[in-house]
Amino acid sequence: MSTERMTRAQVPMEERIIAPGSTCQGCGAAMAARLTFKVLGANIIRHGIPCCPDHVTMQPTAGSVFEGGGASLTGTSRGLKALGRTDVKAVAFFGDGGTYDIGFQGLSAAAERNENILVITKDNEAYMNTGGQRSGGTPKYAETTTNPVGPNSRGKAEPKKNIPMIFAAHYVPYIATASVAFPEDLMQKVKYAKDIEGFRLILIQSPCPVGWRFDPAKTVELARAGVQSGMWPLYEIEHGTSFKLNYKPKELKPVSEYLKPQSRFRHMTEVEVNEIQTTVATNWQRLLKADEMKTVVL
Amino acid sequence: MIEIRLHGRGGQGAVTASRIIATAAYEEGKYSQAIPMYGTERRGAPLTAYVRIDDVRVRERELVHNPNISLCFDPLISLQQAVANDLKPNGQVLLNVQFAPEKSELAGDINIATVDATSIALETLGRPITNTALLGAFAKATGVVKLESVEKAIKKYFPGRLGDMNIAAVRMSYDKVSSWVPAKNRVAPKMKVDLEVGGYGTLKDVSSWRVFYPIINEEKCIGCKTCWIFCPEAALEWKANNKPSMIDRACKGCGVCANECPVKAIEMKRVEGS
Amino acid sequence: MSYEVMVGNKATATACKLARVKVAAVFPITPQTTITEYLSEIYASGELPGFEFVNAEGELSSQVIVQAAEAVGARSFTCTSGPGLLYMHHPMQETASKRLPLVMAVVHRGVKSMQPDHSDLMSQQWQGWLHLYVENAQEILDSVVMAYKIAEDKRIRLPVAVGYDGYVLSYTAEPVEIPAQEDIDKFLPPYKPMPSILPDEADPKSFARGWGEGDPMKPWQMHHQAALNGETVIKEVFADWGKKFGRTYGNGMIEPYRVEGADCVITAMGTIAGTTMAAIDKLWADGKKVGLIKIRSFLPFPRNDFQEIAKSVGAIGIFDRSCQPGMGGPVFHQMRSTLYDEAKKTPILCFIGGLSGKEVRIDDMYKIGEKTLKVAKGEKLDASIQWV
Repeated sequence: MSTERMTRAQVPMEERIIAPGSTCQGCGAAMAARLTFKVLGANIIRHGIPCCPDHVTMQPTAGSVFEGGGASLTGTSRGLKALGRTDVKAVAFFGDGGTYDIGFQGLSAAAERNENILVITKDNEAYMNTGGQRSGGTPKYAETTTNPVGPNSRGKAEPKKNIPMIFAAHYVPYIATASVAFPEDLMQKVKYAKDIEGFRLILIQSPCPVGWRFDPAKTVELARAGVQSGMWPLYEIEHGTSFKLNYKPKELKPVSEYLKPQSRFRHMTEVEVNEIQTTVATNWQRLLKADEMKTVVL
Repeated sequence: MIEIRLHGRGGQGAVTASRIIATAAYEEGKYSQAIPMYGTERRGAPLTAYVRIDDVRVRERELVHNPNISLCFDPLISLQQAVANDLKPNGQVLLNVQFAPEKSELAGDINIATVDATSIALETLGRPITNTALLGAFAKATGVVKLESVEKAIKKYFPGRLGDMNIAAVRMSYDKVSSWVPAKNRVAPKMKVDLEVGGYGTLKDVSSWRVFYPIINEEKCIGCKTCWIFCPEAALEWKANNKPSMIDRACKGCGVCANECPVKAIEMKRVEGS
Repeated sequence: MSYEVMVGNKATATACKLARVKVAAVFPITPQTTITEYLSEIYASGELPGFEFVNAEGELSSQVIVQAAEAVGARSFTCTSGPGLLYMHHPMQETASKRLPLVMAVVHRGVKSMQPDHSDLMSQQWQGWLHLYVENAQEILDSVVMAYKIAEDKRIRLPVAVGYDGYVLSYTAEPVEIPAQEDIDKFLPPYKPMPSILPDEADPKSFARGWGEGDPMKPWQMHHQAALNGETVIKEVFADWGKKFGRTYGNGMIEPYRVEGADCVITAMGTIAGTTMAAIDKLWADGKKVGLIKIRSFLPFPRNDFQEIAKSVGAIGIFDRSCQPGMGGPVFHQMRSTLYDEAKKTPILCFIGGLSGKEVRIDDMYKIGEKTLKVAKGEKLDASIQWV
């Protein structure tokens, strides 16, 4: 696990993004990009796929078709190895669509082959680039443009796919979750993952003011509420066996603090909110237990 | 044929406005076409839409390059010369601003009219969404469509009570729009700010996106860098005196910095004229 | 220089080794699966130092993997057949648009069956690649190595597909001469990507990309011209190979067989061209002067060569091993377009056969030769499809 703790004073001052970008005001994904690339350094080839336009960064880019994320990283990584340039790292900055859904097969295969790649996914919980359609990362009850609320629908009926655990079950060297509200934790994890060989994935909670429908000034506040309510736990898993919960408040905040400010959840009834609260509470107990035992069962 | 260009911000209904105009024209037995500029709009970013109205079916689909009329739904964008460029001779420019047309600095072989659609929208709809609030002024000032056609079109897009509220906005702006005043300066100056913020990647200047901007109180500031670390655009530079300062071309005015500052040393101030 | 009696698929793998391929990403599909196995053996044996071998989870990923490896600067290879090729359709287009000189073996498997016809590669005409069709195992080995030299030429910088028929060629063994590695090294220099995307070599101006800059027509015009340049480069490379290794295949674009003094010619691609050669011998023995033009490069199409040939023959009989439903035979249409402006109007006959692996025999080609000859001698042309 990453045992070091980065302090605010240690955060690198240099910007590795070329700002301003074409993202919306208050974009959580832009925050994730800025923080991630601060610690990745210069010797990387950055991969992208069709996605909300993150900032352009000061490294060469590569990329391929939407469904090709895992494969293009593999190709770059293997090519670099064949050329004897293992000093250069293949790094991805993807969205949830290219990770959970259309890109899932390629990433799962790359994980199974333990390709030497670092995948950083900014999760804004829908296909935001094309206007906000639901993805495998959309949480239950969230309204999106392809599951609007109506007499026949309460928004998304299915829970969010558990990507960190799924990839941990490939027994890869490092899986972590992070949030833009905890920037030092995020950067520390990226820094740690950068130097590990093999497949690594970091999933970053990236609230989207347009898609989740909240005041752009509240992006960080909302992300923090997500972590503090247990809806977005921060943890690390290595080799699918050792587990560490990074943020353990004495008491979780109620999920309503996270759900209420987002208009994508405004149709939820008290019963539905309680359902989510129960799910989160149960899951939290499981995570606490895993943290105590320092292991997960996968 | 009448060709109209509409200027607005992403997420504020300029595209809907273009379709309402097209619908109103069709109500009067004319043919119409409404073209949005898709793929480039981000919440807050300037965007453009186009409308064509003719007595025969509109066949061409290229963008409108030389409109007869330019409509601007946003008070800040209304200050940009781009709104008045490339019109046909004796073009008409209708702006959503709080001042009279004589005070506008826009230049060219154009006539300018103004209406405070934002205030009208706030009064009738309770929100500063100006797409319908400008359309009454459009009908009166240009005469391209009749007021009742606009109202019929609005009912198609906004049923029930919402439709009534929008119609109230339309009627108010119909009454309040100024008359046409020729632009003071007949020669248009070179463009300074590019309203084309389309596409992906890096942009040159996003200052036109701002409705608010951060004012930093250096005395209150404790130099904790919280604002700096959370800015999504890296639009706060960190000065030698350990205080932040806004980078003008990079700040979109999202307000995260002010919201996160632990000592409330940042205030989000409304941009002049917005 | 040595030789081995080997199946077509092994000739492909051997060529990869000779070309010092650095990255291969593959997935099994009949009838090219054994290429993937030969490559895995090359990897396991360590006989190709620095070789990275990836067992991809599907053909789409195979294409993307090698596309990325080419982009970063590693000479790469992949292979597939039929449905596997169709599965790669999406990223295949990018390999060409990104001007990456990948070489891919397409072991023909028709889209309606597991048996060979050319519908798989023909369905990818639009992708912006160069298409070569080969007839025997020796030609496979020679062509795959040469394909890298063609693809990597700076006048081209496009991916090249080398197609050959499944089963009858992929699994049939023939004696193949294997050139010496040091001779191949002299023939095929190392690959350098253009431009480099390594952080210490890439142009920083390329990072802050804009979108939709410049005239959108320009990349198409450049791509089109690069594909047309194929004719010049293919002829040069095949001539060079002929000098160095003593084997020629016509001029590289087409390979004529007994065309001198012929009254007419028939055309064929792939293994059927070999069968046709036997039919041609029989025709001449029977006093029927029919020649064969084996078409090797389908894209770019040998327009100049055929415009020249058409001047001195009475008819051309096209054998298409694919049919685009509603449109007909692709070679037939290319030929009509090629000869449309010529002063002399040469009758062109259309034969479609061998679809979904239907066996095409010497006798079938003999009859095609006869029919073409009749038209050359004045019989009225029926240009409708004659199904074999």
